[in-house]
Amino acid sequence: MRNLKVLFVGIIAIICVLFVTSRQMRTSQGHTGDNTLTIYNWGDYIDPELIKKFEQETGYKVSYETFDSNEAMFTKIQQGGTAYDLTIPSEYMIQKMMAEEMLIPLDYTKIKGIENIDSRFMDLDFDPENKYSIPYFWGTLGIIYNDKFVDGENIQHWDDLWKEELRDSVMLFDGAREVIGLALNSDGESLNSKDDELLAQAARKLAKLPDNVKAIVADEIKMYMINEEASVAVTFSGEASEMLDNNEHLHYVIPSEGSNVWFDNIVIPKTTRNIDGAYAFINFLLVPENAAQNAEYIGYSTPNKEAMGLLPEEIIEDEQFYPPDEVINHLEVYEDLGVEYIGIYNDIFLEFKMHRR
Amino acid sequence: MNKRKGRLANLYLFMVFVLLYLPIFYLIFYSFNAGGNMNGFTGFTLEYYQALAEDTRLLGIVVDTFLLAFLSALLATVIGTFGAMMIFYTRGRKNRNVLLSMNNILMVSPDVIIGASFLIFFTVLGISLNFLSVLLSHVAFSIPIVVLMVLPRLKEMNPSLIDAARDLGATNWQIIYKVIIPFVTPGIIAGYFMAFTYSLDDFAVTFFVTGNGFSTLAVEIYSRARQGISLEINALSTLLFLFSMILVIGYYFISQGNTSKKQKSLNKSRQEAIDTL
Repeated sequence: MRNLKVLFVGIIAIICVLFVTSRQMRTSQGHTGDNTLTIYNWGDYIDPELIKKFEQETGYKVSYETFDSNEAMFTKIQQGGTAYDLTIPSEYMIQKMMAEEMLIPLDYTKIKGIENIDSRFMDLDFDPENKYSIPYFWGTLGIIYNDKFVDGENIQHWDDLWKEELRDSVMLFDGAREVIGLALNSDGESLNSKDDELLAQAARKLAKLPDNVKAIVADEIKMYMINEEASVAVTFSGEASEMLDNNEHLHYVIPSEGSNVWFDNIVIPKTTRNIDGAYAFINFLLVPENAAQNAEYIGYSTPNKEAMGLLPEEIIEDEQFYPPDEVINHLEVYEDLGVEYIGIYNDIFLEFKMHRR
Repeated sequence: MNKRKGRLANLYLFMVFVLLYLPIFYLIFYSFNAGGNMNGFTGFTLEYYQALAEDTRLLGIVVDTFLLAFLSALLATVIGTFGAMMIFYTRGRKNRNVLLSMNNILMVSPDVIIGASFLIFFTVLGISLNFLSVLLSHVAFSIPIVVLMVLPRLKEMNPSLIDAARDLGATNWQIIYKVIIPFVTPGIIAGYFMAFTYSLDDFAVTFFVTGNGFSTLAVEIYSRARQGISLEINALSTLLFLFSMILVIGYYFISQGNTSKKQKSLNKSRQEAIDTL
């Protein structure tokens, strides 16, 4: 009994110490009452220096929380019980959140600096007139190759993935929209096609691809490409920029015949309790200096055209991440296809994945 | 023949331990890698430990995680111990089995389902997701473990001890405090440590019920993994591994203290018996 008492008293003492430390850490960061701004963002998707700078400039205290997928974020906000003031979903999820009425329409009288955003990235199909969202970063889907194993000249288009010499050396991203989209693009069709004939044609074309496919993977592509386990992969530009940093033999290509362009946009969910703070943060991110600093840290493409002037030339002139207009014009956003066609896309993709060599 | 068998058995044991510990040591090894990734060791550095010390957000989460584990294990131990007594002293085999099965169902049901149901439960009740919601759910899923740790000790106990105490005029409270609890102490301590580790490494349940600025280590590491795990996480894991080793050693000494004392008193009474003879 005495043993037990000593143990429990010790544990209670530890709990008290931890409690006080936790309290102190929180107050030293200045989280008191209503000056807190809660940002719900992807893990490691903002330069931490910017958060410090924002806190100093405005006096708000930022509580930064992270999610790892659009779906997780959606569930968390939809369930309620949270007080997120800002979040940064991808475009298809913004559409879904709009449909569920989870977002607050933006009041443009409170937003300064929206003119800094490149007009090419405004007023897109998923959010007409940008009623709910402001672009944060954007990127593309493309091909990454290792110049040790393949000649870059031969890897410029989607069709090149079918070439004989790439036998058993291509890694594909594990997504129905991505893979069928590239098959449609390779024939010069829209990756949002709802034409059964074109889809059947894409499926037939894909049936010839498996001989070249080494694996269909997701996040692991990054590691495999850096370690040179495959010579060619289909991946997103954000991931690609990180791979390029880690292996100088890698190069990223956006096929000029067309590809996907994705956006991560800032939105204010209905759970906000500090809407003024949310606008203050949006305005802060729209300032070109801040956007440039963030883009340099993250390595994704910024939609802020004023910020581009502040970035080092080697970044801006890098066509891998800031493609020329004629390429951008061929890029398309994934549209919501509706339940029926999502099902068809998934079936085609499943059939492709089950293909036996 | 026997000797050879023993050697093979030892080799097998050794292989099992190597398999279990290799990944952990691999991770620890690379926490000192100057190269910045886990692809090749390029040089020794303590840079990540330094970065860890400066990452106040992560340290805050570590403190919160431990606070949560200590506190939830304590509450669960108190509730679970009484729960075990309640189950043990329930009259009728059938009733007892029903109670025990209800306890066991919570043990075997998947964490994801428990987590999801807590999330729905808390939102229906309007409890906002923060430290309290995580604490409540951790207490809830730790209780069945404590019950299962304490119950066997109760079964080992000689029922005539209680009869004897009652004969000597002990009240119900005195019986609990002076007879039952001292006897089941090893079970309680084991239950506490089990609940503690369960709380510390739970991901699935916590994932559902965290929010509003409160997060635990498991959830935070998972969110960070999207960008490829930074070696800072390796450094943190190394420290946690050391901590759990200390915990195991501490547990060893606590339980060791218990048995040696028991043995001592046993020896003493034997000595006394001999003396009186």
